[in-house]
Amino acid sequence: MGKVKSAIITALLVAAIVVLSLFAVISCDVPGSNGVKRYNSFISSIHLGGDLSGEAYTLLYPEGVISVSDYSLVAEDEANEDYQEYKDKYVPHGGVYVDKDKHTDTDALKESVAKDAGILLKRFGEKGYAGYSVSIEDDYVIRVSVPTNFTYAAYKFNKDANSYNDASGRSAALSDISSTVQILTYSGDMSLRDGTDYETSNSILSIKEDFASYFDNISYYLMGGTRAVKMDLSKEGFEKLNEVLTLSTETEKSAYIFIGENNTTLTLTMGKALENRTLLFTPDGATTAASNYAIVLNSVMNGGVLANSYNTDTAGSGTVIVAGTPAFGEYAAIYVLVALLLVLVAGIVASVVKYKKLGLVNVIMSVIYALVIVCALLLIEIQLTVGGAVTIVLGYALLTFTNFRVFEAVRGETLAGRTLQASVKTGYKKTLFSVLDLHAILVVVSAIIALVCKGELAACGLILFVAVLASYILYWFTRFMWFVISSPVKDKFKFCGFKREVLEDED
Amino acid sequence: MKTNLKLSSKMHIFIIVSCVLIAIGLAVGTICHFVAGGFFNYGGDYESYKSVTVDYQSIDFSGGEKEPLELIEEICDKAFADAGVSSHVITSGTINNGGKLVYKFVYSTDYDKLAEASAAINVAIKASVTGADGIRFSYASAHNAETLLGSGLALSRAAIVVACMAVVHFIYFAVRYKLTMALGALLADVHNFALFIALTALCRIPVGSAVATYAVIAVALSIIGTCFFFERVRKNLKDDSGKKLTAHELSDKSANESFMSNILMHACLAAVSVLLFVLLSISSLSPLAIISPVLCSLIAFVSCAYGTTMFTPSVFAGIKQFGDKVKPVAKTVKNTK
Repeated sequence: MGKVKSAIITALLVAAIVVLSLFAVISCDVPGSNGVKRYNSFISSIHLGGDLSGEAYTLLYPEGVISVSDYSLVAEDEANEDYQEYKDKYVPHGGVYVDKDKHTDTDALKESVAKDAGILLKRFGEKGYAGYSVSIEDDYVIRVSVPTNFTYAAYKFNKDANSYNDASGRSAALSDISSTVQILTYSGDMSLRDGTDYETSNSILSIKEDFASYFDNISYYLMGGTRAVKMDLSKEGFEKLNEVLTLSTETEKSAYIFIGENNTTLTLTMGKALENRTLLFTPDGATTAASNYAIVLNSVMNGGVLANSYNTDTAGSGTVIVAGTPAFGEYAAIYVLVALLLVLVAGIVASVVKYKKLGLVNVIMSVIYALVIVCALLLIEIQLTVGGAVTIVLGYALLTFTNFRVFEAVRGETLAGRTLQASVKTGYKKTLFSVLDLHAILVVVSAIIALVCKGELAACGLILFVAVLASYILYWFTRFMWFVISSPVKDKFKFCGFKREVLEDED
Repeated sequence: MKTNLKLSSKMHIFIIVSCVLIAIGLAVGTICHFVAGGFFNYGGDYESYKSVTVDYQSIDFSGGEKEPLELIEEICDKAFADAGVSSHVITSGTINNGGKLVYKFVYSTDYDKLAEASAAINVAIKASVTGADGIRFSYASAHNAETLLGSGLALSRAAIVVACMAVVHFIYFAVRYKLTMALGALLADVHNFALFIALTALCRIPVGSAVATYAVIAVALSIIGTCFFFERVRKNLKDDSGKKLTAHELSDKSANESFMSNILMHACLAAVSVLLFVLLSISSLSPLAIISPVLCSLIAFVSCAYGTTMFTPSVFAGIKQFGDKVKPVAKTVKNTK
């Protein structure tokens, strides 16, 4: 390859890397928008796990149980009309107040709350969060905490502008959590009713019928952007439901599926027989609504019915979602980024020190690897946790060790007296199968982790999958760039920091 | 860089050391499961705790330049110091014109002391606000929290994945390498995983959801380490000089050739863990908050480094020797049939 060709290819590649790197790391106000619009870099748009951006939690109070704040607001205000009623009605229990008339048997309440917490643990477990927890506070209150799923831009509060760098992203994430908590805490059994409002509608099925027993399976269905709840009717359930639906001659009337007193917005048409045993519903609401409804319906179908209604007495505040600071500190995400950058710099310095100018080829590969990982995290919306950061380092170690092994194999060939061209060819040939085996097995293993696991582990599996693929592709790209960059160089051995064993015949 | 270790001759020592460590770890874990509430010392997102929550809204402190949250934190710190208790995690969250400040304490903390501190906080905040209109409300309350195994599902899925990884590893090696090497690889996975579990249970370090992640990373590292070692074995078997070597010599030669790569990889990853530990300790201002994932990762790297560089090559020599003895017998039986 000629000098010009080599320079053009190298310049183009470096320019592309520099431009992409700038977009990846620099956030700024969009010029000309008077500071109204803001460009958030790739890195600040990556979703962070609970350990880096904090957890969102909510407290679920059963009917007849209120918080100290709700009690004190009324009981410490003598002007309040409910002042005396609160004083007489509520008794303290740990950090909460319990309505003594409503809950004469507090052991029964404790037991039912514990059972509900177990059901909620399973329901939230199905969401696949990277770390979540369900706990019982003061015997009667359920505390659910899930990762906020904020991007760094949504997490970071900009004191100068007195707002979050991505306020809409933050409110969207919190509203998503709020809607999830609201749906997953539906209490009561499944029913089919003839109206959208529980109070004014009637049950279509007889009181003896158990609607949940009509179904074999209820799951989340995602295909080509369609998010739906897939309900598989049992043979008997199919016949019974058809019988009920066709009894009515009013073809325009609808039947609504309820959980307890909550309308799921899943609707059946009356006066028309069902064509097959699988029903697909696309519920109203957030993009996560379908998966939430699928989880709660499946839980109810399998007997996971919540015995208590939650947050009905909380002074009109309903279910409040609180986004807390991360346990690792406010700047945990920044420190993890610094650690990853230090690892990258250490890898770059090691390769340049050990392989001189050839090390620059590995430097290019290292930067490309970092960009690939950032883009993958951004595009696939993988949640980054501390475990994920360690997995990224594992992938980087794989890339660097693979390249170093090849460089060492080539060095071994040069010491045997071959030309550099022949050494590179033989070195790559000798390491070909070992590198292929290593990457092949890791690709299979990472795919298994990503598919079988949930939460943080699944995210780590996906990161490892991308990292291994990137490492293998960059292994071949290293050879290409080695060829391109070293082409115009006269002393190729010096370029690589290798020494050639001079054979006697050549003297 | 090559080393000159004679690992295969020390096979019995490695087997005894590993078996003893694993047996003690499993025994301690099993006893603790029945008497101390868990096989592991569940911490962080698993453990039950006590807490003090301060709910505040529209607070106006007189003439102060500090944010309300900072002043509330100062009041809380003083109240906890007076009550003789200290929290290990503090989180704050904002809601309309106010927020919640949650102090978490270990479960053994005396509840009465927390209730006493809560009452002192309430009095102190009310005494600090400007006039009657300066506060809408602020209430501190102490709570007991029993945590359910929120990440229990992650643990069971991780166990399934570890089993799948070991099986895939075995099958791949049986196809691409040899059956004796596949057996060696399977043994390495089982050994490294068991050692990681046993050491984690034995050290009684607080275990959070990170344990599942590092258990899987330990097996992934084991796969990478065995690839380095068995690739050398395969290469040496192809060489004319290698063919003449006994099982022990072959294993030692391959182990020495792959020793530095393996150790270097594990050392680099351990160094990254320590770096993360230092930086996140600075970030959280409490090494206690980050100690669990870091110790888990260090145990994973140490188990794998020992397993892949010392235990596996020494035991593989025995497996290979056994395989070499069985092979002619199996061939004879096959020919006779």
